[in-house]
Amino acid sequence: MTSTFHGLETARRGLTTQQAALYVVGQNVANANTLGYSHQRVNMAAETAYPNPGMNREQIPGQMGTGVKAGSIQRVRESFLDVQYRSESTKLGYWTGRAEGLSKIEDVMDELKGTGLSDSIDSFWQSIQDLATNSVNSGGKAVVRERGIALADTFTYLNSSLNMVRSDLKNELNVTVEKANSMLGSIDQLNKQIAAIEPHGYLPNDLYDSRDLLIDELSSMMNIKVDYVKNGGNSQAQAMGSAVIKLNNGTAEPLTLVDSTTVNPIALMFNGEDGAVDTISIGGNAVPTATFISEGMLLSLLQTYGYTNTEGKLAGDLPDMIKELDHMAYTFATEFNKVHKDGLSAKELAAWKTALESDPAAKIEDFNEDILFFTDEYNADPQNVKGFASRIRISDEIKESYDYIANASVATPNDGDASNLLKLADVFYEKLNYKDALADSSPAAEKESLGAYLQSIIGTLAVKTEQADRLSVNSATLLQNVSDRRSSVSAVSLDEEMTNMVQFQQAYNASARMITMIDECLDKIINGLGVGGR
Amino acid sequence: MRVTQSMVAANSLRNINKSYGSMAQYLEQLSTGKKITKASDDPVIAQKGMYYRTSLNEVEQYKRNLSEVYLWMDNSEASMDQGNKSFQRIRELMIQAKNDTNETTDREAIAKEIAQLKEDLVSVANTQVAGRYIFNGTSVNTAPVTSDANGVVVNSENDPYLVEVSRGIQLKANADPSQLFSQELFNTIGEIERELSEDDMDLDSLLQKFDGLVTTFSAERSDLGARYNRLELLESRIDNQEVLAKKVLSENEDVDMEKVYTDFITQESVHRAALQMGASIIQPSLVDFLR
Repeated sequence: MTSTFHGLETARRGLTTQQAALYVVGQNVANANTLGYSHQRVNMAAETAYPNPGMNREQIPGQMGTGVKAGSIQRVRESFLDVQYRSESTKLGYWTGRAEGLSKIEDVMDELKGTGLSDSIDSFWQSIQDLATNSVNSGGKAVVRERGIALADTFTYLNSSLNMVRSDLKNELNVTVEKANSMLGSIDQLNKQIAAIEPHGYLPNDLYDSRDLLIDELSSMMNIKVDYVKNGGNSQAQAMGSAVIKLNNGTAEPLTLVDSTTVNPIALMFNGEDGAVDTISIGGNAVPTATFISEGMLLSLLQTYGYTNTEGKLAGDLPDMIKELDHMAYTFATEFNKVHKDGLSAKELAAWKTALESDPAAKIEDFNEDILFFTDEYNADPQNVKGFASRIRISDEIKESYDYIANASVATPNDGDASNLLKLADVFYEKLNYKDALADSSPAAEKESLGAYLQSIIGTLAVKTEQADRLSVNSATLLQNVSDRRSSVSAVSLDEEMTNMVQFQQAYNASARMITMIDECLDKIINGLGVGGR
Repeated sequence: MRVTQSMVAANSLRNINKSYGSMAQYLEQLSTGKKITKASDDPVIAQKGMYYRTSLNEVEQYKRNLSEVYLWMDNSEASMDQGNKSFQRIRELMIQAKNDTNETTDREAIAKEIAQLKEDLVSVANTQVAGRYIFNGTSVNTAPVTSDANGVVVNSENDPYLVEVSRGIQLKANADPSQLFSQELFNTIGEIERELSEDDMDLDSLLQKFDGLVTTFSAERSDLGARYNRLELLESRIDNQEVLAKKVLSENEDVDMEKVYTDFITQESVHRAALQMGASIIQPSLVDFLR
């Protein structure tokens, strides 16, 4: 026999549960525009039916339902989509970083606006050609000197601009690592809060959302792997547990960044050549940059800024470009000087002519001084390839007087002779070993003229940038697709919430109507029965 | 598929962004007239552009060098023409002097004119263009011929004055002074002068000698003429090259205005549609219909 008030209790349960569902609708609507929020739902379950099986159970025709209960409040989310999202976000982070870094180099090495290195080279060549048609013209000599200075200045300007970009990138690297560390700290905090709530049988949905948002952001910086460990106690089956975040780095054993108890902050060691990063330390573990291949923003920044490669040498787009400029400046200056030293300038010719007056046997060879055109520091021949592009300048002699520009050759020692100028102009076409300024054993196929070599460098850079641009657009599209699918599952739909609201409200109203009906029934029993003797 | 408000909003914003981006690109192309603004927009165009620009520079430079050759050759030619006139006059005077009817005073007058013509030849040999002696090889700062009371001394050099007119091709811009104004020439004219002042003069052998020198002079003059022809040929070739280089450069990187403008208009209508769609996102939801 069921209780007299059985129906009332069932209806009451209906009221409270529908009310809870309506509150959740309210929460969903309120958070319709909250970043990272997944819409929640109340899992309703029928209460245990009466009677329970047992020896002393009541013999009634069947089990009677006892109403509804709100089993749990769960967020609607698909963890598989999170995994996909994070893997695309890692790629997007990497390629966006690559595209940004390379386009910064491209902005410096701009050869399209007519103010680049190739234009300085061309106009220097033109000034030499102009002087060659009229080699006693002092105006022409002055132009050659100024254009030479302009070429040297272009090299130093490019070098300093690239170095400036590099120091900006160093800041960016530090900021990125700091940001990653602060996110790791926050994730750890959330892990701890979640671990305090879950054992009580609750689902801290909003904390899960915050934590997932942080993990999403972290995934753009490096390739991470997320596992979960249960928090035990009275945790529900749907409880996520603590997030354990590990760094995916190729085949090597993943290094733990955050687990349920500790955080391992990331630190960069700038101990390589020219301040390059040589080691990344995670917690106590040192990862050499040569083996760090975890794609993401961090890796892309390292690849642009400079890292220590497997051979222990400096590598990276910026250091490479700086090196190329050094090699070009060094090789060209050395070869140009060689020809210039052999030639005779107006000053040398004048000295010889004065000597001829007293000694008709004076030999021109004895008056051929080794005048340099381009020099390293201290007015000397280029000494050291490294950093030469930042030191290249015009020799003191030529700075003092453009009459030191060597126009004639020893074979034809005349003021109007331009044979050496034509040889100087030919240096621009000469196929030289620009790849490695010091090793002159390269095969002829690897040798290039200055212009062609510059074109190949700019071409390579442009292709790399284009590829990075394209891949960042591609990965953005893929990420958008995954993000759309995730939104489709998790985001708040106002139409849906409104429908639910109507549904839950109607159920609530119906439960209330049940109470009225049972009240009437009870009224009949209590007040309406037994009036026979009255 | 469940569609939520945030999805639609994000999608429509992305589409508007994308079409606005394309518009910006067309606008940039229209305002710069160039297909690309960064090398990475199209590495092939960028790389080719660098190469074509360098070749155009080269062609323009060689064209400029040509004008220097013209300067030399035109001036050499004019000077030689003047020299030739002096030669003709000297020859005329010699023929005239050979006539026995001449008085001593007549011959003296002829000798004086020849002396003047010699000085004239000295100044022709010392012709300067923009401060440079053009008949002294590459020693452009020193006069090849000096004339004083002791006579005329020729000290000319005959190095070729070379100007590069194409990669690796050098053209000689000057004439050979040893063929034009030699010591022998001035000596011969001097002898003619002296012979005229003598009673028993023998001009025949001198005339023969002089004729020989005139022939050498003319030969050098025609040599210059031949080189002048080659120069003109080279000029027309370089002009062609310039036109070609400019054309290739333009075809490589300049935009086809009509096409870009049409594309721009098309894109504009797409953009309008995207905006229209964006505006329709703020459509009524179920909220508006619940009472």
